[in-house]
Amino acid sequence: MEIIVEQLTRGHKLISRDKFSNGEVNIGRAYSNDIIVSDPHVCPVHLQISFDGNAWIAQDKASINGSVIEQSNQPVHNHVIESGDIICFGKTMIRLIFPNHAIAKTIPFSPFEDLVDFARQPLIMACNILVFLAIAAWISYINKPIEVTWQHVAAPAIGMTLGFLSWPIVVSLVSHFTKNDARVMYQIGICFIFFNLFVLSSVLESIVYFNTSAHWSIAHLVVVLPISLAFGLFWLNCYIGFHMTAVRRFVTAGVLTTLLFGGSALVQLSKQPEFSPLPSYDATIMVPTLQFSSSSSVDDFVEQSQALFEQTRKQSEQEKE
Amino acid sequence: MKHFVVFLLLMSCSKAFATEQAEEIFKQLAPSLYQIRLIDSASGEKSSIGSGFQISKDGLIATNYHVISGFALYPEKYQMQYLDHQGNKGKLTLKSVDVINDLAIVKREVEQEMDYFAIAEQNPVKGEELYSLGNPHDLGMIVVPGTYNGLKKESFNDKIHFTGSVNQGMSGGPVVNAKAEVVGVNVATSGNQIGFLVPHQKLQTLFKQLQIDPPVTIEQQMSEQLSASQDELVNALLTSPWQSKMLGNAKVPTIDVPFIRCWGNSNAEKQDAIVLSVVANCTLEENTFISSHFNTSTIEMEYQYLDAKSLPPLKFYHLYQQQIKRAGPGNKARKDDVTEYQCHHDLVMPENQTINTKSVFCTRNYKRFPQLYDVLFISGSIDKDKEALISHFTLAGVEQDSAMAFTKKFMEAIAWK
Repeated sequence: MEIIVEQLTRGHKLISRDKFSNGEVNIGRAYSNDIIVSDPHVCPVHLQISFDGNAWIAQDKASINGSVIEQSNQPVHNHVIESGDIICFGKTMIRLIFPNHAIAKTIPFSPFEDLVDFARQPLIMACNILVFLAIAAWISYINKPIEVTWQHVAAPAIGMTLGFLSWPIVVSLVSHFTKNDARVMYQIGICFIFFNLFVLSSVLESIVYFNTSAHWSIAHLVVVLPISLAFGLFWLNCYIGFHMTAVRRFVTAGVLTTLLFGGSALVQLSKQPEFSPLPSYDATIMVPTLQFSSSSSVDDFVEQSQALFEQTRKQSEQEKE
Repeated sequence: MKHFVVFLLLMSCSKAFATEQAEEIFKQLAPSLYQIRLIDSASGEKSSIGSGFQISKDGLIATNYHVISGFALYPEKYQMQYLDHQGNKGKLTLKSVDVINDLAIVKREVEQEMDYFAIAEQNPVKGEELYSLGNPHDLGMIVVPGTYNGLKKESFNDKIHFTGSVNQGMSGGPVVNAKAEVVGVNVATSGNQIGFLVPHQKLQTLFKQLQIDPPVTIEQQMSEQLSASQDELVNALLTSPWQSKMLGNAKVPTIDVPFIRCWGNSNAEKQDAIVLSVVANCTLEENTFISSHFNTSTIEMEYQYLDAKSLPPLKFYHLYQQQIKRAGPGNKARKDDVTEYQCHHDLVMPENQTINTKSVFCTRNYKRFPQLYDVLFISGSIDKDKEALISHFTLAGVEQDSAMAFTKKFMEAIAWK
C-alpha cells in the first residue's frame, strides 16, 4: 500500500512531495527518519505513519509539542488517516494522500497562451518597444512650442519608455516573490502591445470627439475603450504571472482597473472647485483630413445653443432654493 | 437753496483767489455734505465709506451706487449711516438707485426743513473751474478745485472728464460750479489729475423719477435698468456699421462705434517663434459695477491669426489647440451672482462656406437678475493645414435674444480672404 506525503508551508504551499510504499514512515528531526525536518519545535522522533493491513494509522510518538489533525483539531493518537488529512506538528505541516485521491480536470491551453507566446517573441517585442519609443518621441516633439532637434526628443522618449517598462518588471517581481514563475519577457511583451493599443485608443477617442461634437452622449461611450484595455492588460498580467482561479483573476483585474480609473476620477473630482468662473468645454480640434462628419450651419448652431439659456436658468432657480 | 448760492462777481485766474473761493464755498456747503458709511451689522464696524450730499429739504441725499452697493444687495448684512460735518450720526434708508450711472438716493430723517444743494440747469463750459467735494481716506471733508473738460468721448454712458484729483473716498461727493450748483457727482479716478464725474442730468432724472414713480423694490429697479441698458448697448452694436478688417489672411469684424476701442499685437519680430501670431482685440472700456466681486456690461472681441510657417500640420494643430482651451469671461462674478457656464460645441460652416470652424458657445445665468446672462464664444478654423484663425467674444449681462442676434452676426462675419 502506498502513501504520498506532501510537506506544506503554513500557507498550504507545496514544499516537497514523496511517495512511500514500505508500510511505515517515520517523521522527525533525527537523521534516522524517513522524512527529516529541521523545525526546532519538532522532536527527534515525532510522528509515525504505519499501515496495519487495513488502514494507515498516524501516531504521535509522545512528542513535547504534540501533533494535531488540522481539519478536526484533534490530537493525533492512533488516528485512522483519510486521504487529504493535514497534520500539524511543531511549525511543520504535512498532507497525506492516497494514490487514488481525486484530482482536478486537465486545463486545456487557452487561446491566450498563443497570444502570450506571440508577444514574447524577440522580434515582436523589439518592434513593439520601438513603436512605443517612436510614439513617446512624437509626443514630446509636438508638445514643444519651440524648434526641436532629435536630442530634445530622444531623452524624454527614452525616459518615458523606461518609466513604462517598470510596470511589467514590478508585476514579475511580485510573482517571483509569491513563489510564481516571474516570466519577465512575457510580461514586457504583453505590456508594450497594450501600451501601444492605449495610444491608438486615445487617438480614436479624439477623432470620435472631434467628429461627433454635437452628439455628446454617444461620444462618451468611447471611454469604454481604454477601460476595457486596462482590464485586459491586468487580466493578462495575472494570467501570465500567477496561478489563480478564473474568478480570482477576474476580480483582481477588475479591482486594479477600478483603482486606476476610479482613483484618477476621484483625484480630479477632489481638485474641482466648488464654483468655477471659467467654462469647461471640449476644445478638440484636428487637422482638416481627420474631419469625416459634415459641419452644421450657423443657424443650427445658434438654434442648439438656445437650449443652454433654459438649462442655466433652471440651474439658477435650483441653486437659489 | 438760495442761502447757498454764492454770487461771485469776478473770476480770477490767480491760484490764491481760487483757493479762497474754494474755502468760501466749502464753508457754506458743509452742513449739506455727509460721509456715508456702511456698518457691518455683525461686527458693528464700518465696512466702507464714501461721500454724499443733500438734494432736498426733506433729507434726500445723493451718493454713488457703489458706496452703498453692499446694502442694496445684502440689506440684512449692513446698516447705512451718515456722519455730518458736526460729527452727528444717523440712520439712512435706501430710496432709489441708478446702477448704470452709479448713483443712489438715500434718505435721513429730518425734524425741520434743511439746506440742500441745488442741481445745475445747464452744463458747464469747457475750461470752467469746478470744485469737487468729498471725504477721501476718512480724513474729513475737503475741497479739490479742478477744470471741466467736456464729456468723455469713448464712453457709452456719459461721463464728465474732470481734471482734478478725485480720490477714492470722495466717491458720491458733489462737484459744484462757482455758483455752488451741482454739475456732477464724483465717481472714478483714472490716475493722476484725471477724474470722471456723473453728469448732473442723470441725478436730476433719478431725483424726478423718485418723486413721480418710486421703485417697488431696489432689486427690481436694478433689474429693469440693467435690461434697458443692455438692450440699448447691443442695439447700438448691431445697428452700427460692422467693418471687415484683415488679420493675416482672414477677415474679422470690428464695430465702428467710438466706445469700442481696438488694439493689436504680433510676434513678427521674434525670429525664434515657430508660429506667427497676430492678435487684435476690441473692448468696451467701461463696465457696470454691481458689487465689489461682480461687474457686468463688459464687451470683448478678440481675434488671433496663426501661421504655421514650416511646422507640420499635426504639430501646428496640437499647439493651436492649446490656444483654444482656456477662454474666460471678461467680467468678475462669484457663486452668489451667477451659475456655472454651460457650453455647446460643434463643427460649423456658414452658408457661404468661407470658413469651417470648431465653435463653442457658453452661457451662465444671473441669479439675482434671471433675464440676464453672460455669454462667451470661441471658434477656431479647421480648414487649413498651415493657417488658423481664433475668434472670440464675451458679452456680460445680456438677454437671450440680444446674445443670439450678436452671436449669429459675429459668426457670419468671420471668413478667409
